[in-house]
Amino acid sequence: MSIPSGAENPATLLPHPTSSPRVRLPTWPRWARITLLLLPALLVVAVFFVGGVAQAVAQSLGYQPFLPGHGLSLDAYRRLWHDPAVRASLLLTARVALLSTVASAVLGVAAALLIRRLARTRTVVTRLVQATLAVPHLVGALCMLLLISQGGLLSRLAHAVGLTASPAAFPALTNDGFGWGIIAEYVWKETPFLTVIALAVLAGGAADLENVASTLRANGWQRLRHVTLPLLAPAVAAGSVLVFAFTAGSYEVPYLLGQPYPATLPVVAYQGYQNTDLRARPEAMAVAVLITVLTALVVMAYLATASRLSRRSL
Amino acid sequence: MSTTGSTSRFQQKWLRPLTAISAGLIALTACAGAVGSSPPKVVDPQDWADVLAQAKGQTVNWYMYGGDDTLNAFVTGYVADRLRERGVTLNQVRIADTSDAVNAVLGERQAGLTSGGSVDAVWVNGENFATGVQAHLWLCGWAGALPNSRYLDFTSPAVTSDFGVPVHGCEAAWQQALSALVYDSAELSAANVSSMSALFAWARAHPGRFTYPAPPDFTGSLAVRTVLYDTIGGPRTLAGPFDPARYAPAASRLWQRLNAVEPALWRGGSTYPQTQVAVERLYGDGEISAFFTYGPGAVGDQAKKGLFPASTREAVLAGGNIVNDSFVAIPANAAHRSAALVLANTLQDPQTQLALYGAEGAHPAIDLAKASASLRAAFAQVPRSPSVLPLAALTRHAQPELASGYVSRLEQDWKTNVLQR
Repeated sequence: MSIPSGAENPATLLPHPTSSPRVRLPTWPRWARITLLLLPALLVVAVFFVGGVAQAVAQSLGYQPFLPGHGLSLDAYRRLWHDPAVRASLLLTARVALLSTVASAVLGVAAALLIRRLARTRTVVTRLVQATLAVPHLVGALCMLLLISQGGLLSRLAHAVGLTASPAAFPALTNDGFGWGIIAEYVWKETPFLTVIALAVLAGGAADLENVASTLRANGWQRLRHVTLPLLAPAVAAGSVLVFAFTAGSYEVPYLLGQPYPATLPVVAYQGYQNTDLRARPEAMAVAVLITVLTALVVMAYLATASRLSRRSL
Repeated sequence: MSTTGSTSRFQQKWLRPLTAISAGLIALTACAGAVGSSPPKVVDPQDWADVLAQAKGQTVNWYMYGGDDTLNAFVTGYVADRLRERGVTLNQVRIADTSDAVNAVLGERQAGLTSGGSVDAVWVNGENFATGVQAHLWLCGWAGALPNSRYLDFTSPAVTSDFGVPVHGCEAAWQQALSALVYDSAELSAANVSSMSALFAWARAHPGRFTYPAPPDFTGSLAVRTVLYDTIGGPRTLAGPFDPARYAPAASRLWQRLNAVEPALWRGGSTYPQTQVAVERLYGDGEISAFFTYGPGAVGDQAKKGLFPASTREAVLAGGNIVNDSFVAIPANAAHRSAALVLANTLQDPQTQLALYGAEGAHPAIDLAKASASLRAAFAQVPRSPSVLPLAALTRHAQPELASGYVSRLEQDWKTNVLQR
């Protein structure tokens, strides 16, 4: 392989087809080109993410220019620590996010492995799985209410066939203390997401490696354990981190399917945000900052583990 | 090949300019509202012909609680048609809680958007109005200048003060909310709904069949105050602005009573529905048999549609029912002030008030004594559903609201003393 025009531009290490002449913009300095190309994405990140987080941090410290006589302080974070709503919320949020993520990952991988074995119906089943991706969480949550709440379809069916004496005798699966309804919605919605990711990895030459393993006398379990799952792990793990971050930070599903107390952190933040007393605003923002920090910590932990794993495999 | 050298040059060459550009752009977006738009055209509500002329062709974005289907149909139907006659387009923005609209205006003000705001009018009262006053969000001094305000009784405290906060022309009254208890007469007898104690006794005998939405839901807050009034013998002892010395003993008796009945509520009182919409769905699904409402007039429509049982009836408990006026406020940074003024005036039109009473059963905000005799006759002739109490029964024992300081404190303390206990 020849490194093209290495003398004049040593940073260009990407190989390119030698047959066609390369179109270049010699009049633009390199930094300007990169800046221009990155600008749209960076603007979105800067304005909506960095700007939003900066606003939240500022307001959590008590920055409220429209209210007289309020200096900056850490009072909101101190109040957070003593707020029973926040303490109860941490446990619930962690439980919902972890259980949803683990269940979605296990079911998603299992579904992908099963779908791969299908013959004629594979395309149809794959399309069905992809169709779920297009359904908004809000719709999913309302469907869960219609399906598994005490006034829902399952409860009515159970009552009709004489399993329960009244609708209230059906187990409380929505607006319950454990968060079953929330977890059910997340698993229903996120399993197809991870299935699609796993299917994409499996389509990329997994079969060849498995065949090689077979020729080396690996049985089905050994192929799964030592070939297929390690192949799937990086992509599914990355997808699971997205699922975790989403389920820990999403509002509408726990609002509709959960309780006012204990509620997940995003619901607690919004409850504070909706408080008509503007002096409650810093604490609401402090909860939002807390969610951001916790999610960032999880992502950082994942990145650290992932890089160590990939280094080991190299 | 020296990669490190090229990286640092790379940083020097483009990272710094990039940071500068990004920072500049953020600053620009933040100031865009202040710099980019022209100053608002000053509207003088005294010159009504000018207001009408300016409003022509404008679209008024009216933010309002959207959980009442009957009212939504009235707003997008009758009110929108009346505004169209004036060349004004109505865009009803349905929100789950009025504080969402107040937060939207607040956000715009924080971003420096002093004109061209997205919220033109808000259906508001009580604490949300007080919040706007606290942060100077409202346009003031216009409500008395509306032509139809001549039908209002400005000597009545219900019109001139809102949960204890003086109105100062910052909002225009358009309906009166009369609260009532809605119940299924197939499940509860008239004796069961004669008083709060009788209702609670029935609830204990029928566990899980009664609940109320968790405050700060508007109606949940009403339910808690109704129990408070019954417990302390009406609002008299808590009249006037918030007084901690009078609040503490009253509140402690209230929490005691609410906690005593809690095990008999829906789900054993372990949780509460988040919204009034959820409560009414529980009632429609047959999970509960009674609930409090601020909109007794709409219940007839729900029963007629089959969403509620035909045996649905209403009652006013012995201690009386809480009544409040609700208003339309205009944010000071509203983009379409004139259209919002026309909306407020249209809502106070006696014909609109009559149509609203017919559709929703909403008690008029105008003083019928100031309206024509034929209009009074028309009000008397509006047919009532058997599910809905007549106006006379709904107004006989009407009780005023407490100051908004008490209301928000009750909502706050309900969480710690009842929900989180």
